[in-house]
Amino acid sequence: MKAKIDLIVNGKRLDGRGPEDLREIKITPNVIRNAAGSAYIEWGANKIISAVYGPREALPKHISDPNKAIIKCRYTMAPFSSLEEHGKPGMNRRAVEISKVTAEVFEDVILVDSFPGNEISIFIEVLQGDGGTRAAGITCAAVALATSGIPMRDMPYAVSAGRIGETVVLDLNKVEDNYSEADMPVAISPRTGNINLLQMDGILTREQFGQAIGMVKKAGETITRIQKEALIKPYQEIAEKYIEG
Amino acid sequence: MQIRAITEEYLKSRYSRNLRDDNRQLTEYRKIVLKTGVVPSAEGSAEIFLGNTHVITGVKIGLGEPMSDTPEDGNLITSNELLPMASEAFDAGPPSPESIEIARVVDRGIRAAGVVDMSKLFIEAGKVWEVFIDVHVFNYDGNMFDAGTLSAVAALLSSRMPKYEDGKVIREGDLGRLPTGNIVTSCTYAKVVGKVILDPDSNEEAFASSRITIANDEQYIRAMQKGLSGSFTQGEIESAIEMSFEKSKTLREIIKKAVGD
Amino acid sequence: MTRKIVVPGEVLAERPLRLNGAIVEGSKTCATVMGIFDDEKSLLIPLEGLWYPKSEEKVIGIVEEAKLNSYTINLNAPYKGILIAKFVRDPIDNNAIIEATVRELDKTGTVVLVRPRVLTGGKLIYVKPSKIPRIIGRGNTMIGQVSNGTSTTIEVGMNGLIWMRGGNTDLATEAIMKIQEEGHTSGLTDRISSMLNLPARQHTETYGTEEGNNVRSEEKGY
Repeated sequence: MKAKIDLIVNGKRLDGRGPEDLREIKITPNVIRNAAGSAYIEWGANKIISAVYGPREALPKHISDPNKAIIKCRYTMAPFSSLEEHGKPGMNRRAVEISKVTAEVFEDVILVDSFPGNEISIFIEVLQGDGGTRAAGITCAAVALATSGIPMRDMPYAVSAGRIGETVVLDLNKVEDNYSEADMPVAISPRTGNINLLQMDGILTREQFGQAIGMVKKAGETITRIQKEALIKPYQEIAEKYIEG
Repeated sequence: MQIRAITEEYLKSRYSRNLRDDNRQLTEYRKIVLKTGVVPSAEGSAEIFLGNTHVITGVKIGLGEPMSDTPEDGNLITSNELLPMASEAFDAGPPSPESIEIARVVDRGIRAAGVVDMSKLFIEAGKVWEVFIDVHVFNYDGNMFDAGTLSAVAALLSSRMPKYEDGKVIREGDLGRLPTGNIVTSCTYAKVVGKVILDPDSNEEAFASSRITIANDEQYIRAMQKGLSGSFTQGEIESAIEMSFEKSKTLREIIKKAVGD
Repeated sequence: MTRKIVVPGEVLAERPLRLNGAIVEGSKTCATVMGIFDDEKSLLIPLEGLWYPKSEEKVIGIVEEAKLNSYTINLNAPYKGILIAKFVRDPIDNNAIIEATVRELDKTGTVVLVRPRVLTGGKLIYVKPSKIPRIIGRGNTMIGQVSNGTSTTIEVGMNGLIWMRGGNTDLATEAIMKIQEEGHTSGLTDRISSMLNLPARQHTETYGTEEGNNVRSEEKGY
């Protein structure tokens, strides 16, 4: 798909970002009281809530694994999440696929062996979508899991890279995604650098792939810091209140 | 947490002192926080915290065909999602009968009170505007009916109205508001250990034998729904109606403030 | 500073350490939960964490299903509790709240319970199991203070369920929630005791979300 509009003018993207710039990211932990863990993320114009339930008895019984916890994920988009038409509620084929690859990310980092016969459910609901919702959802769900106390060997983040014209760019929004030459969402475990999710669609040279992964890992330092700060902040605020006062 | 957090004996002892678990009186609402414009992609949206019940309602407006019995009116479609992230008790999958009941009761009050002026949604023969109301609960702690109605009405009253020009829908730019004409609110009561209480939370719902919702505007009762297997006396329902007219004065103010009128 | 808050995946030490809430991968020790890590003492205090049953621990649960030979107990945890009926003196009803002692976590992931006691009336609250040690306090001092200060009978389960009955349950709940929230700060015992000496206060909470330019309307208790 060739760009029909100029997405990059004088090195700047339509929203003023340079090729390697992330959109603004803000994470608030513990937003759903009934859940074991939860978080809300605003990533550019994306607004996403994630909640975690479990470990709890895996149901129906025949899906349970006597050796480990199974990870269920349900990614859905609210019917009012787009500026266009009213969406159909529930899961379409795209949502089923995203849910599957997201569950697989967390299967690798959660200590599933500790909870045989159980399930851990991760819910991701997109209130407003503007491109990169699966990456923002994974980043948010990782924080939700950390607030739940479910043990993880690493706290993953995700972001997409892509190609506009001949330029490799980071974190495509919806307009860019629609007209770009390539989009590649990636999820990474920051401690090990292992790639837990990789999807790609479009056209990319081998050199551009390397460049894109490099950009993702560099942005990962920022995203990991934002995740960590969001988690620590509530504890620090309470502690500081008493140190000063 | 799916387990019952209070016992019947505890409730009886509190209720005998006109006190609820959270220190409310028997006919007192929980704290209500209502906000509009929370999801800008939707034509209208509202977020409500009714105590710990957290609901976000979105309004989308699109093109559709009129119903055969109302060829010159727009359409109104109300849905409710009890998202599995909102409670241990909710499952993923098609809407449950409970969820459909909530959507239909919210829809009836809005429709009967003429909150949306349906006659102004006519475009041309065979083409009308369709208004979708989606009520999504993110944290459930009882009384979806009132949280649903309050947030849906606030979302409708703050909705943009798309334009139809040259066969295309224009959703951005200089837009007017969705034509609305009235405000409806609802009050839901439950009979719990023999007492009629207003705005039950989920612990109280676990002990409820019967439930009734009364939707009204300033002048008229607009919709009612009795639920669960227990019953009410005529006197209990009459006093619930009286109270709903009284309570609705404040509820209407909350909606007006949230909409910015 | 030797104490810092760590998140899952964070490297705590370049050498293997045996710590609750951490794993050793390669030769490194990494946190698996949020916690406060003391570098000098090589100590990790979990801030978030799940309950792992240990024998002789006291738990609180609800009878889910009374069967002929056994009772299934909901412990609000990844593990189901089981009580063998022949060790129970009087039959227990469904939905009864009980206190019991853990004998063991068996191979099927079921917690075998003994010495049940039915707790009648009252109410249950749930707190994070990671905060239970702080709520109990050294030698039961913290929970004893709450119980005495409110004249409430309180039973604490290590699984995070707390049962209370009589006296000022509102103030007792408020105190326990404060301990849960401020467990990682110093001077907490004093703050709780001064809180309990005060006359009972109306408990109000704020449920607001982030501030924005959006119009907001609030109303409390009318």
